[in-house]
Amino acid sequence: MVMMMAPGGTKEMAMRVLDAGADSTYVGVKGWSRRGNAEELPDDQIHEVIDYALARDKQVRIVVNTLPSSTEIPMFMERVKMYHEWGASGFMISDLGCMQLVREQIPTAEVHTSVGCGIVNYADVHFLTELGATYVVLPYRLSVNEIQQIKRENPNTGIEVFLFKTPSGGKICPGKCMMSSYFSFERTLDEDGKDLFFGSASRGGDCLRVCQTEWDLETAKQRHQQEITIKSNPSLWLMELPAYLHAGVGCLKVPGRDRSTELVCDITNVYRRAVDEILSSDAPKLMPLEIELQALRERWKAERNNRDDGLISSALAASSRALIADAVGM
Amino acid sequence: MSIHNNKIELSTIELSTNIANPKQLRQCDISAYDAIYLGDFSCMDYPNNFCSHPELLADALAEIHGAGKKAYLRVYATPGNEDLPEVSELLDEAVKLPFDALEVHNLGVLRMLKERGNTTPIHLGVFGNLYTDATARVLKDYGVTRVYPNPELSLKEIVYIRDNTPVEVLFPVHGKIPLVISETCFIIENSQCATQKVNPSGKLVCDFPCNQDYWLNRSNGGWVLKDTGRMTLSGKDLCMIEHMPELIAQGLCCFYVQSHGESPEYVAETGRLYRAAIERALSDDALPGPSGLETLARLAKEGLCNGYYFEGAGQTYLGRDQVVGG
Repeated sequence: MVMMMAPGGTKEMAMRVLDAGADSTYVGVKGWSRRGNAEELPDDQIHEVIDYALARDKQVRIVVNTLPSSTEIPMFMERVKMYHEWGASGFMISDLGCMQLVREQIPTAEVHTSVGCGIVNYADVHFLTELGATYVVLPYRLSVNEIQQIKRENPNTGIEVFLFKTPSGGKICPGKCMMSSYFSFERTLDEDGKDLFFGSASRGGDCLRVCQTEWDLETAKQRHQQEITIKSNPSLWLMELPAYLHAGVGCLKVPGRDRSTELVCDITNVYRRAVDEILSSDAPKLMPLEIELQALRERWKAERNNRDDGLISSALAASSRALIADAVGM
Repeated sequence: MSIHNNKIELSTIELSTNIANPKQLRQCDISAYDAIYLGDFSCMDYPNNFCSHPELLADALAEIHGAGKKAYLRVYATPGNEDLPEVSELLDEAVKLPFDALEVHNLGVLRMLKERGNTTPIHLGVFGNLYTDATARVLKDYGVTRVYPNPELSLKEIVYIRDNTPVEVLFPVHGKIPLVISETCFIIENSQCATQKVNPSGKLVCDFPCNQDYWLNRSNGGWVLKDTGRMTLSGKDLCMIEHMPELIAQGLCCFYVQSHGESPEYVAETGRLYRAAIERALSDDALPGPSGLETLARLAKEGLCNGYYFEGAGQTYLGRDQVVGG
């Protein structure tokens, strides 16, 4: 049994991915998920999405994977209980303390650990299982062998993977990177008194993708690289899916809360057919779907580059504002 | 500004920094410090890194204890499955020695220590991603007695954790801010002159290009980062020297100089200046002295900042007079 979870960056996207064949959708709460406001939902829309899903025998996962301020935790628990009462079946959480509280106070809720937990090995999975995780999301980079090892050591834990693979090592993303906030950190409170840190994904803002602008790598004596990005980007994968499902992956996460609804629905549709094909055949024919996916990868890249440009501009603007304020202050 | 209800003794204040290997221990004057974090938690291949050379630990520990200081051993921050055997070996050795604490960034390693019945106190390192009091309480069950809060936390938030949990907080007062860790070496992958060799047993070894300072400068200007290969840090140095009286007044007492990748001069000068600032802050009758800001600015190639402490952008610097209400 595998659950395919697709993004709900907007109310429309959430509903349409369910129609496109996702088993569940994941939606972010405004100010509480690792994306900006534009890709998060207000409570009334969350309620509508939950109703829509339940009527179709599908599920909703609520993304509350920011790392809150200590004093916001009561607010966090109130919100989570409310969504649970409405019918949301699971929550994506990064903060260990919040995870434990949800486990204690809402025993029937499913908990997905989020990237802020920084899983890199099977002992991490043990730890989170003991804390009460239902699903652990493994980083982009793990191989089938590593997943098998993790599943062997933790047979009862749900394994969740992004349908995203990073091509090579490098700076660990996402989860514990602060480059964006270092350059662009501005702090505000929203109408509910919730702290929002523009430029920090961990604190309810957006990662502003500063790693994707052009950088030079230099020592005092030499310029080693010119105009490079400092992190490579993940891409959608498919051909390894049979092996991953066989290794014990129980939840597939389609990325894309920050992509267009059209693109995300097309992606969801391809993966739906892929999973159905894999589950119904010993020799699944995935090549035609891989070809479809290739076109979607191109569209993904175009949308991402466009969005990155906008985010980097915001970061530069925020930087300038901060440094001007600094200069004035001094 | 003196502390009126001064029940704070110098002995309760701890100033610490980090030393990666025996060579640095020889080269750096650590007399100003009360405690040393041993090892480079970002790179197991760093020459004679205490994090990956269990055979070097006993001597270093003896030397630091002999100097009347505490010794904390850092454990590799992001061990993949294939690194766990080597980490395990280090832990086996470490728990036998009288380290004052082990610094751990990784949840799996916390669990491994608990399984071993470890009784050495544990400090959660910067990449342990600690943001809340609730998490500090969870980690206490795994033997964590001190946390290095995520750099994004404000001074207020850090004080809250210190006030509302049974753990201590490590408060970085100086040095570049660790921003992200890397699974492979960015310098080796991108340096024009670095070579990557394979040793007789097939393991990749590098020729340590990181002994030079590598900077990431935005091509179109404005942004600077320091890259040490397996970690990227802020371009600017965090500097809280003008704020020591306020920090101590708030009851903070474990102060840390982040000196990864810095010179022996940096370690010695920074320690000396912060030691002096702490003593001045605690002494009712000390004359205000030069804060040392000029020296610290000179040692910071890209300038100074306050990180996230005062709820502003990571890169800006606020002097004492600009901070309203601390």
